[in-house]
Amino acid sequence: MTVTNEELVAQFPGRPISYDNADHYRGWLDHRLLLNRCGECATWHEPPRPSCPNCWSMNVVPTQVAGSGTIHLVVFLHQGPAATGVDYSTPYPVVTVELDEQPNLRITSTVIGASNDEITISKRVSLSWQLRDGAPMPVFTLDSGSEQ
Amino acid sequence: MISSRHPLKDQVAIAGAYTTGFTAANTPRSQASYAVEACINVLRECGLTAADVDGIVGSSPEAQVVQSSLGIPAITYFSNPLIPFVNQLAAAVSAVYSGLCDVVLAYHAAYRLPWNTGAAFKDPFRRGGGMGAAMLAQPPESIFGAVGYTAWASRYYHEFGDSRDAFGRIAISDRSYAADNPGAAMRTPITMDDYLAARMIRWPLCLLDMDVAVDGADAFVITTADRAKHMPFKPVLVNAITVGMTRHAEEDQTPSLRDHGQHVVVESLKARADFWIDGTDIYFPYDGFTPIALNWFENAGWCGPGEGRAFLESNWDRERNRILIDGRIPVNPHGGALSEGGTQGSGHIREAVLQLQGRAGVRQTPGARTALITAGGFFFNAQGVALRTD
Repeated sequence: MTVTNEELVAQFPGRPISYDNADHYRGWLDHRLLLNRCGECATWHEPPRPSCPNCWSMNVVPTQVAGSGTIHLVVFLHQGPAATGVDYSTPYPVVTVELDEQPNLRITSTVIGASNDEITISKRVSLSWQLRDGAPMPVFTLDSGSEQ
Repeated sequence: MISSRHPLKDQVAIAGAYTTGFTAANTPRSQASYAVEACINVLRECGLTAADVDGIVGSSPEAQVVQSSLGIPAITYFSNPLIPFVNQLAAAVSAVYSGLCDVVLAYHAAYRLPWNTGAAFKDPFRRGGGMGAAMLAQPPESIFGAVGYTAWASRYYHEFGDSRDAFGRIAISDRSYAADNPGAAMRTPITMDDYLAARMIRWPLCLLDMDVAVDGADAFVITTADRAKHMPFKPVLVNAITVGMTRHAEEDQTPSLRDHGQHVVVESLKARADFWIDGTDIYFPYDGFTPIALNWFENAGWCGPGEGRAFLESNWDRERNRILIDGRIPVNPHGGALSEGGTQGSGHIREAVLQLQGRAGVRQTPGARTALITAGGFFFNAQGVALRTD
């Protein structure tokens, strides 16, 4: 059953939901990570735009990605915005992951289930999900023993 | 496609610049009061009245607040672009060159607000104010805004090895220069030990890698080169001005440290300006975060990628504990954003103007006739200006 726009905004308070990215947040509710892919030339892009930057087609389709990728950037936050389940005393890891679907196609989240000294650039990761305030959000876990 | 068509070269001048100086504390004054104080003083110094001004370009407060505060009877152009301040300067120069107006009053008031310091929450009049609501509303899992520079600093480490001492030299040098600037917020010298012991904010960047949130303002008069000749100070000609942005301006989509807005700025300025790094008497790399400045050195061509650390070491003035390129070219002689205060580029431009007009006091670089300013960071805010005098 389709989640209405009202219900979607209620599920993700504070997130910048718009007509260009609402389906991506609907995907989160089903534990599916959707990124925009061109229906004509098959190029992916992120963040969601109304057109394909490669061929200018407006037939962009939120499409599921595998969620496997490589850590490209790492930050450890010693302070930051208050959020349920986030402990800055650890400190809190934030990673930008380059997805396997296309070079330079990246999304940013955190890594769970690993100590901070294991979280380094070039490590392979896989998609996972965790709840924040009752709503799912995409996160990553380190693949065992692999470095690209 | 970067054009070299450049009709406005040397046609527009910065006739005057004034600063209130900067304070790293919540002062009991409004942002508007700083902007207005700087505006009144720069007009007085240039011998202008309210009726002489027909253009206003600024950041905050909005142009109509400044116009009504100063009683400027009529303007034919105004705009309030986003910072950094080269956006304001580009708008002002374009408006004068095209004839939308003749005399622009341009200003930027830096002000401590929740987006740049949590301490602003202690002041009830500051809690709701300013830009950056989107920045504050971000979830932790984001590198939007300030966090983006930290993330790419980690990439710099990954590619070139631990570079904390190179970032540290940027911070130390700014502080050494700021000692000569009575308007700077932070003037107590720091050592590498101080830098390495500073509180980590977002690894790999610590408190001393980040510019200091301040109260204060800069203001400028911008007019035609011809009209500026009849004003009290030596005209500072805008030889070239540019902004630079690539199609991947989002912090986490930027392709690499070798492909972002700074590279567009470098290519554009080199195509338009009469001089480049080998012809500048003073260099102003933007330093809102230390890795921005280190990457400017590399991307502008002072040294190659990954060579910033060695470059700073070999151009270090040991006596004064600061960067002095070839033992001659000062770098951010006002103390930069890290020590004078986070002015989003207006401080760099104002210091360049004062230096080229011979009005920089004890900081004066003898005989300075050219200044290169590479402002802003990597993403949506890289900018550059080449200034010169006759």
